[in-house]
Amino acid sequence: MQLTTLSKTYQVTEAPLVVLDKFSYTVEPKEITALVGPSGCGKTTLLRLIGGLEKPDEGNITKVEAEEGPISYLFQEPRLLPWHTVLQNVELVLRPWFEHKSERVARAMEFLHMVDLHNYARFKPDQLSGGMRQRVAIARAFAYPARLMLLDEPFQSLDTSMRWSLVKAFLTLWEQDKRTTVYVTHDVPEALLMADTVIRLTSRPMQILETLRIDTPRHERSLGDPKFIAMQARFYT
Amino acid sequence: MRRSTWTTKLITALSVIILLVIWQVGAVWLDAAVILPTPGTTLSALVSLVQQKPFSLNIITTIGRALRSFLLIFIVGSFFGILAGYSKRVHAFLVPFLVLFKATPVMSVILLAFIWFSSGTVPLFSAFLMGFPVMFIQVEQGVQLISPRLREMTVVYGFSPFRRLTHLVIPSMLPSIVTGAKASLSMVWKVVIAAEVLTVPRYGVGSRMQLAQVHLETAEVLAWTLIAVLLTAVGDMLFIAMLSLPKYIRRIRWRKRKVEPCN
Repeated sequence: MQLTTLSKTYQVTEAPLVVLDKFSYTVEPKEITALVGPSGCGKTTLLRLIGGLEKPDEGNITKVEAEEGPISYLFQEPRLLPWHTVLQNVELVLRPWFEHKSERVARAMEFLHMVDLHNYARFKPDQLSGGMRQRVAIARAFAYPARLMLLDEPFQSLDTSMRWSLVKAFLTLWEQDKRTTVYVTHDVPEALLMADTVIRLTSRPMQILETLRIDTPRHERSLGDPKFIAMQARFYT
Repeated sequence: MRRSTWTTKLITALSVIILLVIWQVGAVWLDAAVILPTPGTTLSALVSLVQQKPFSLNIITTIGRALRSFLLIFIVGSFFGILAGYSKRVHAFLVPFLVLFKATPVMSVILLAFIWFSSGTVPLFSAFLMGFPVMFIQVEQGVQLISPRLREMTVVYGFSPFRRLTHLVIPSMLPSIVTGAKASLSMVWKVVIAAEVLTVPRYGVGSRMQLAQVHLETAEVLAWTLIAVLLTAVGDMLFIAMLSLPKYIRRIRWRKRKVEPCN
């Protein structure tokens, strides 16, 4: 996916807020690209532009063929429909893609199984904990036949151990079906463990400081590894 | 809803008895059936009313008027409420109408309507005018309760407008729609009967009430009032029963489904 000279300015009480100014980058298809930068630097805005939730003032986004079509979006919050059950929440997004209900339910259950929530299929979201709700959102994002996944700090609101188990759940699902993923975070270790490419960003207007390519297979990565310690150090200068 | 135990039920029963005793004592003390008949006299008036021939016709006519105006309020109120909730322009346009409807005394509406329409139409028209703002305001507020975050989710996950309507918009607005419907329904009964009293159409609870009053049949006026109270209460009960119906059906379906193995 090619991002070409994207610009976005918000009009906030007289003073214009330049969030993106001619931002360009090429996202490798079928890889996880992590964007790491300070809060409010424009990462979320970039994701919203890619997801079509907002239009850029200038520039364009060109997708390769493998990325064309539906998009999955993992938000900071689960964003589940509170009046539907866990199963219905996942099944509902599959409606246009699978004709038969049995097919949709089977697929939804399959993905709920992968995030270990198959026993909670009949529960309503408010009967679940925050971590479980976010797992439902992950199941929904993967069950949806998207070619492109956008992650906006989906693990941010959780405690460390819960985060780690969700990251693992995410990677397990992702390894089975590699989709182009753009992952926005300000958690450096998480980015280093998950991504193929980690991009260090400046604050507003967002610019690329450095691009780190990580070729170590995910299961061999360790934060204690000298190579990873060195990489982490670059973010804290 | 507050939980009712046998103590609270006992207290309620006690309160009803005290009310009846006050009524009885007052009636005996006044000793004038024209001013205040005893509960017993009222009850026998009620019994003789029920036995009268056009009794059910009077009731059915009134119920028909109330339901028709309620239906009209429900449809028109929801329609404009949703429009105004989504569009500031529609809202701005409708504000003067609403202020006018809300501020006009019920009696002026009825009197004016009586000049314009036949006596059978007046209750319908007046009840609509009085109930519409209640429904409208609730529905309009309901639109604001739709979470923009959930809306964004439905956009990203490619919900069609129809799927968004049935799975996001209506469920979000349901509590407001129910509140509006309940409030406008109980208002409709009162306005319909008031309009019938003033315009005396051929059949109707209000018409009978007015005729009884003209003949100084106070017991009969009270008996018709009791009927009006019962109508409102039964209407409310039916409404609540109707609301719990889907939940009940779902429970039955869910029990059936439980038998099949999941997945």
